[in-house]
Amino acid sequence: MILGLDVGGTHTDTVLIDNNEILAVNKIPTESNLVQTLKTAINQAISDVDPFQIERLVFSTTMATNAIIQNQLVETGMIISAGPGIDPHLFAVGPAYSLVEGSLDHQGIETWPLNKKDILFAAGQIKNKGIKTIGIVSKFSVHNPIHEIQIKKWVTKEFQHIFLGHSVSGSLNFPRRITTTYLNAALSKMHNEFTAALTKILDEKGCHAPKFILKPDGGTVELSKSNLFPARTAQSGPAASVMGALALDKCKGTTLALDIGGTTTDMAVIVDGVPLRTPFGIRLGNFHTLIRSLMTHSIGLGGDSEIKVNKNGIFKIGPLRKGRPVALGGKVPTPTDAMITLDLLNIGSKTAAIKAMSILGASIDLDAKSTAEHVMLEMGNAIAQSVKSFVNYINSRPVYTIKEVFYEQKIEPERLVIIGGPASQLAKYIGESLNLPYEVPAHAEMANAIGAALARVTTEITLQADTRRGTVIIPEACFSKAIDPAFDMDDAVRLASSTIREQALKFGADPEEIEFSVVEKQNFNMIRNYSRVGQNIRLKLCINPGLLPEWKRNF
Amino acid sequence: MIKAPRRTGLVFFPAFDWAISPTHPEREERLLYTQDQIMEEGILDIDGIEEYRVRPATFEDIRRVHFCIPNEEAVTTKSHLISAGGCMVAADAVLTGEVESAFALVRPPGHHARTVVLGNRGFCNINIEAVMIEYIREKYGINRIAIVDTDCHHGDGTQDIYWHDPDTLFISIHQDGSTLYPGSGFPDEDGGPNARGSTVNIPLPPRTGEKGFLFVLDELVMPILDKFKPELIINSAGQDNHFNDPITNMNFSARGYAALTSRLRPDLAVLEGGYAVENALPYVNLGIILAMAGLDTSFVKEPNYDRDYQEQPETITRYIEDLVRDLKDRFLKDHKMPYLKSGQIISRTKEIYYDTDGIQESQNERIRSCHDCAGLLSIESRSSLGLHTMAIRIPIRACDACQKMGSLWYSKALKNSFDYVYLQNRVQNTYEVF
Ligand SMILES: [Zn+2]
Ligand SMILES: [Zn+2]
Repeated sequence: MILGLDVGGTHTDTVLIDNNEILAVNKIPTESNLVQTLKTAINQAISDVDPFQIERLVFSTTMATNAIIQNQLVETGMIISAGPGIDPHLFAVGPAYSLVEGSLDHQGIETWPLNKKDILFAAGQIKNKGIKTIGIVSKFSVHNPIHEIQIKKWVTKEFQHIFLGHSVSGSLNFPRRITTTYLNAALSKMHNEFTAALTKILDEKGCHAPKFILKPDGGTVELSKSNLFPARTAQSGPAASVMGALALDKCKGTTLALDIGGTTTDMAVIVDGVPLRTPFGIRLGNFHTLIRSLMTHSIGLGGDSEIKVNKNGIFKIGPLRKGRPVALGGKVPTPTDAMITLDLLNIGSKTAAIKAMSILGASIDLDAKSTAEHVMLEMGNAIAQSVKSFVNYINSRPVYTIKEVFYEQKIEPERLVIIGGPASQLAKYIGESLNLPYEVPAHAEMANAIGAALARVTTEITLQADTRRGTVIIPEACFSKAIDPAFDMDDAVRLASSTIREQALKFGADPEEIEFSVVEKQNFNMIRNYSRVGQNIRLKLCINPGLLPEWKRNF
Repeated sequence: MIKAPRRTGLVFFPAFDWAISPTHPEREERLLYTQDQIMEEGILDIDGIEEYRVRPATFEDIRRVHFCIPNEEAVTTKSHLISAGGCMVAADAVLTGEVESAFALVRPPGHHARTVVLGNRGFCNINIEAVMIEYIREKYGINRIAIVDTDCHHGDGTQDIYWHDPDTLFISIHQDGSTLYPGSGFPDEDGGPNARGSTVNIPLPPRTGEKGFLFVLDELVMPILDKFKPELIINSAGQDNHFNDPITNMNFSARGYAALTSRLRPDLAVLEGGYAVENALPYVNLGIILAMAGLDTSFVKEPNYDRDYQEQPETITRYIEDLVRDLKDRFLKDHKMPYLKSGQIISRTKEIYYDTDGIQESQNERIRSCHDCAGLLSIESRSSLGLHTMAIRIPIRACDACQKMGSLWYSKALKNSFDYVYLQNRVQNTYEVF
């Protein structure tokens, strides 16, 4: 039996899944105390279940997101070595940001050595502020982590927790590497406390099954391993619903998944069962990070959005939400009131809903029913417009090879899968506006918790080999090794394949579910003075977000 | 987050799957380290810098500029079309007002490609700036355009294309042609009879440094631009003047290129040559992007700058001061031009060698002297490929007389035994091949 739990802004959902059946679902209001919310949700979810029967628990939480937005980060020092480029002072973050001597060039070749005295001085200054946690980042460390590793050796006695930049991601982006390393470090204390509290709740219940946390890329990581990269657990909500759509529908071909909530509508594209991912990383508050996520787009349009109408009869829905629908005691008319008026939904006071619609339509001479119909049409159109610009955005991403310019297929959704509270009421309007077939799967309103429950472990690795320099590096695995000039792409693929396996097992993957794909594979001849002096090999492998094999098999 | 004072577009196309030949300098790897540097700097996260996706140019776009012999398929590859198309994307970004300036960081380059194209010259087949400019004229109706070519090699292809066009100011700053390919670009090459003074060549001696380039820019280039009053300034931003470049002998630097860019303030910049792929291009391109966006460039520096950069010798400073004095006299003072009657036909012959493809070409060019337009042009070409062709251009905004004469020349040519006859009619926007 699997327990899936998704903490949302207003509700916390749980689901119990066994043998491909959704056994039970539960919804409680989210309280301000997260641990308390989890405790209540777990208690209710497994009240009738023998804890020993639970084999797996997966949590999609708001711990990291809230800590960042509410600025509850632990004081963290940063030791940075940069080199030529943009002024590194501009990337300053945290209360103690120290630039030290030393730099590497774009190939990871040292162009300015580190200065031990300078580094110990910087460390001393950070320590004098009472700071116990630091991040160490050097420019181009993903092409050569040597400076970060050396600095860590020199200062390791001075601090309790040290986070290194090259391990957060294999992607190039120095400012994002700085912020991501900072966030991991600054969240670590809170995250450790949170995972300890969660483990305690489950231990007390007698649940000792493997525990996982959902990440924004739609994959999971084992709870105890999440402490290595706490920021990777932030903003998993949108991924939970995309994985839910994938779990409840086959998502064959090119599917656009829409999750309509009270305040927002989120969208994502799933191609042959694999959700598209962003090339860089999520934004958390004001921080741009290297944390992978699914490519999702959110608009301020949901069942509880405020509706306004101007004197030309143009309806404007959202982006604000001003409390509950009128039918449920609120003050401003909402699409939910329109649904109630049209008998699409049976909650709250229908009289209040009708009244809200007739007041809304009065200035343009429409009765309640016509007004409500207008609202639904307008909402369908607005969502359809956003879908079109999202798809357009995906198709206008830059490409760097002739092959991609001339032969790459454009993304064109063939169907819609619509989930979330008002999914069934709105599906017809959105489908008609986009002229696409649509599906509202059973349990659509609990898709997020289902998605969390069934998501498998994901990870990615980046390999860079330079046969002229004689090195191969996989930063995410903190791996580097000398190679001989004959090292080629086949060797690279072999090395990367075994490394990603180890990495996945480390993060809690089931050996049978490891299935990776090649994201990037490039091999450059290095030419100097009309002759070949080496190979520059680049390879990126990833385990795509996907569902547990047992769920897929019996679908 | 960093915010750019000037909204800047970036079109990046490194053509990671294209090379002229396996060990040629114009190779897949050329922009790899530049890409790494740009990505590592987080350039694309800067508020106000927008990256655009390339699209290929069409043969129609090429036919506004070139006569491809025998046809476009034969002398272009997909990579040339994307490189030119990338420049057009950059132009769209600027002219629709989405950004204030844009940089097309594309390859292969184009400034050695001339009006007639038989193959590859100096790594170029298609003149990507010219394709962009004629696209701008066609689509946005912009007329007066200045090109400042800062590649180390003389932009002889661009000069050839705009030799007769009084509305295009072409300024080339390059290593003296007596010391470097293609061996042209001397001050007395100053434009055809209808466009005298709209071609400006500034040949600089080997080892010219930051001081020399910036002196030429401030003292000569900027005043000439002020006098011409272009609606658009385009920089052919070749980067082979760099002190680390393996195939040239100049002494320029990344900070020098950045300073030049922020003073010139081009609306559009297009990458041309530059083959120090590891120790110049990443820094020069970064400097240019930051300068275009109006951002601080003081931390942009080659790792070996302090060790290897050399100030230009005093003798060179004096040589350049003298040169600039002469050129100021030639281009900034008003001279009485020899009077040519409208309708007079003036011809010249040219010998052209396509170094990459080993083709020899002889051209006989005829221009109709005209007071009302850029003048009707014809180019008769014979080449070692064994082809004998006639190409006729009726220029954009051609006067009635030149248009009528053009049809006459065309029908006459058809009666001769040319292998191909081409008519590029920019007034009617047509291109005919017979
Ligand atoms: Zn050049
Ligand atoms: Zn004329």
